[in-house]
Amino acid sequence: MAKKILKRSWAEPYKMKMVELLKMTSKAQRFKAIREAGYNTFLLKSDDVYIDLLTDSGTNAMSDRQWAGLMLGDEAYAGSKSYYHLEEAIHNYYGYKYIIPTHQGRGAENILSQILIKKGDIIPGNMYFTTTRLHQELAGGKFEDIIIDQAHDPRSEFPFKGNVNLNKLETLVKKYSAKRIPYVSIATNVNMAGGQPISIKNLRELRAYTKKNGIRIIHDMTRVAENAYFIQQREKGYADKSIKEIVKEICSFTDGATMSAKKDALVNIGGFMATNEWDVFEEARNLVVVYEGLHTYGGLAGRDMEAIAIGIGESLSDQHQRARVGQVEYLGHRMEGYGVPIVKPIGGHGVFVDAKAFLPQLTQDEFPAQTLAAEIYIDSGVRTMERGMVSAGRKANGKNYYPKLELVRFTIPRRVYTQAHMDVVAESVAAVYERRTKIKGLSMTYEPKYLRFFQARFEPLPNNI
Amino acid sequence: MKEKKTRTLSEPFRIKMVEPIRITTEEYREEALQRSGYNPFLLHSDDVFIDLLTDSGTGAMSDRQWAGMMIGDESYAGAKSWLHLESVVKELTGMPHILPTHQGRAAERILYGILGGKGKIFISNTHFDTTRANIEFTGATAIDVIADVATNPEIDFPFKGNIDTDKVKDLIKQHGALNIAAIIMTITNNSSGGQPVSLANLKEVRKICEENKLLLVIDGCRIAENSYFIKHREAGYEEKSYEEIAKETLRLADAFVMSAKKDGLVNIGGLLTLRDEKLSRQCTNLLIISEGFTTYGGLAGRDMEAMAIGLKEVFDPDYLHYRIRSTAYLGEHLRAKGVPVVWPIGGHAVYIDAKKLYATIPVHQYPGQALVCDLFTLGGIRCVEVGSVMFGKYDKQGTLIPAKNELVRLAIPRRTYTQSHIDYVVDVFDDLLELKEKNKGYKIVYEPPFLRHFTAQFEPL
Repeated sequence: MAKKILKRSWAEPYKMKMVELLKMTSKAQRFKAIREAGYNTFLLKSDDVYIDLLTDSGTNAMSDRQWAGLMLGDEAYAGSKSYYHLEEAIHNYYGYKYIIPTHQGRGAENILSQILIKKGDIIPGNMYFTTTRLHQELAGGKFEDIIIDQAHDPRSEFPFKGNVNLNKLETLVKKYSAKRIPYVSIATNVNMAGGQPISIKNLRELRAYTKKNGIRIIHDMTRVAENAYFIQQREKGYADKSIKEIVKEICSFTDGATMSAKKDALVNIGGFMATNEWDVFEEARNLVVVYEGLHTYGGLAGRDMEAIAIGIGESLSDQHQRARVGQVEYLGHRMEGYGVPIVKPIGGHGVFVDAKAFLPQLTQDEFPAQTLAAEIYIDSGVRTMERGMVSAGRKANGKNYYPKLELVRFTIPRRVYTQAHMDVVAESVAAVYERRTKIKGLSMTYEPKYLRFFQARFEPLPNNI
Repeated sequence: MKEKKTRTLSEPFRIKMVEPIRITTEEYREEALQRSGYNPFLLHSDDVFIDLLTDSGTGAMSDRQWAGMMIGDESYAGAKSWLHLESVVKELTGMPHILPTHQGRAAERILYGILGGKGKIFISNTHFDTTRANIEFTGATAIDVIADVATNPEIDFPFKGNIDTDKVKDLIKQHGALNIAAIIMTITNNSSGGQPVSLANLKEVRKICEENKLLLVIDGCRIAENSYFIKHREAGYEEKSYEEIAKETLRLADAFVMSAKKDGLVNIGGLLTLRDEKLSRQCTNLLIISEGFTTYGGLAGRDMEAMAIGLKEVFDPDYLHYRIRSTAYLGEHLRAKGVPVVWPIGGHAVYIDAKKLYATIPVHQYPGQALVCDLFTLGGIRCVEVGSVMFGKYDKQGTLIPAKNELVRLAIPRRTYTQSHIDYVVDVFDDLLELKEKNKGYKIVYEPPFLRHFTAQFEPL
């Protein structure tokens, strides 16, 4: 029975109740716009973008119930009803004991890093994420990648490319001792690997190992429901479990969490930090006042806490996740149909195109992913994001990181675009793919100190376009 | 002072959306207060009838702002709502670099994080609690040099928020201009009673800054309210519009920080604006790390839209007149009853002199906290102590160094409560004046290292 249903379209379990008008542009307008934006899609005006796949963060469509929640939001500075509603949702659905709301995910990362990390500490994790690693470094720690090797190979079809290689962790523990490892940072799903999940089996083994060595697991849980969907679809013994049950089980293996609610939790702004340790909570409660706001609002409007509380519940519906991931897979399969090289298996929140394979004539110093993102925008007004050389930034010694993965990310906002929009995207990528041999690279003309991908500016190498 | 006493001032708006509130019994409130460690910050809002804890983020938005919420553009980069906000703020401040933040303290933390550090000194008319915390967090020192008239709650002086410029000059001589990180003018001056700062005073400060090459920062979360007082109290500004006065004020500053949760008429949001490009680049780096990308700064698009609209609405003459007069209404009625209030009444709140009202409670037993607790128990009214709980420190022996004044602030949220609500508050004071002798004060049983007033716990003596 279940199998038969899976063959049908992933039709959305909702219909449209409010729409937002989009502007169509001409190729000449787009060429001018990208030049003004220094060939960086982050610097484009949203008005000049037709289909915006820059990020799935905060770009979601809320449900009518969430909009109603916005109206019910309690804006009291202290002890807001909406705070208690949020606290209850996190207890019920994720199971963490103590929570601190923050204005978004990086606010939670900042506070948690400052509390747990001492100078010289090592933080192993299943692949870096830009803001997460930066907060670890600013707190005096050093990130070490312990993800399995398959994660760095865009062609590997391994079903759980977010898994940790326990041998790599053990090597670190032997080298530095467990005392210098305040926690292992575990992301569900792994964004930089292409939205790839970690399995319950791997988490369980990791938990057993860290418990033995007295090391915490901190959960970067921004896409935990999408990870749970993959477990339901791929892991033995989980086909009959609900997303709700799987999410709770994932969280039970960890000691605390940071979450950007702008992804899974279906809102436009908000995040939180959670912990099962009273001491950590107490310190966080004191620190959050300095950075974010009083601990019962953490820099959020009351209405936003209300919308998160409702969104968490909605995100754990099996039907919602099936349509969510179904749409991402639909786009990926259409691109594959045109022969476009993409990261396999297709991830939970977007399709990641392999820019090195797409533009083999460019060296990594010519920024193939940045180049491809600009080309796609010029072709159709579709905005995507570079996830490669530019995002990886520089090492402490000033040298560039050269990441194995040089990707363009097509991130799908939740509940926003239709199947026809996805068709336009796939056709645009196909058009650029057809003339790929004529494409030249870029050179960087401005580079900021931190997180350079946001604001860096480029210009085309001679003879380009 | 030329503020005319006129007939009843009714609001220049009507109510379009309401939010039910609940009246509880005195026994219930006593229990609730005990559960929250006698700290009103820890009360559940549901147990509060009239919430005068703060005017920050608690105001009612207009229908036009709510409509703005619907057209908010949630694009991560380059959103239309950002471009709208940026153009409004550029026009208001005349500054080229505009950084959005999730709220005011983030703007402060970024700016003072760069300007501050060990050995640096900030001079202000009065640093507000979060401002002081942000500065001290960097290892720098925050010095208040309020004019002497301001420390006496009873003196009637039109600009009690002014800084004492002679003392500023002395401090510069004493510490050397190179060690002064910035002069911060808080307008209106919240901690001294919501009192305004005159343009004449600001111009003098500007001159001092230019002579000594110092940075002038305006903390202007209540800039519109300050403009109202200037127009009605300072010679030469009678004919100018409130917006023109605000613009003239901001033209004097090198940097502007604002919690838009006050005069931005929104529930969330803040701003940092700068003239200097190099400083702006440094601030932008920190903004991206801790707040969000430069075109949203940790705010939803809809919140930037609402702020852009609110920053225009707040300068409406009818609104500002209603705002200032309705705050004064509460103060004047309390004064008529014999309650000692800071005079003249400020823009956003009425401040009560708790040291005088609870004359039997010594400062180390926190008379302000006693008033706060009694107002909640008797009437379900929540307000905040602005005295030794908020600003007190300890010397090396652990003895309390009390604050200059023991005040309690009744802050009025914008466009939220009616005159009947305010009359109710005034009536509760009848009971309070009768019963206040029973309260013997409080001791602190738990306190965190920073900003202790938010989470400290008390016990009655």
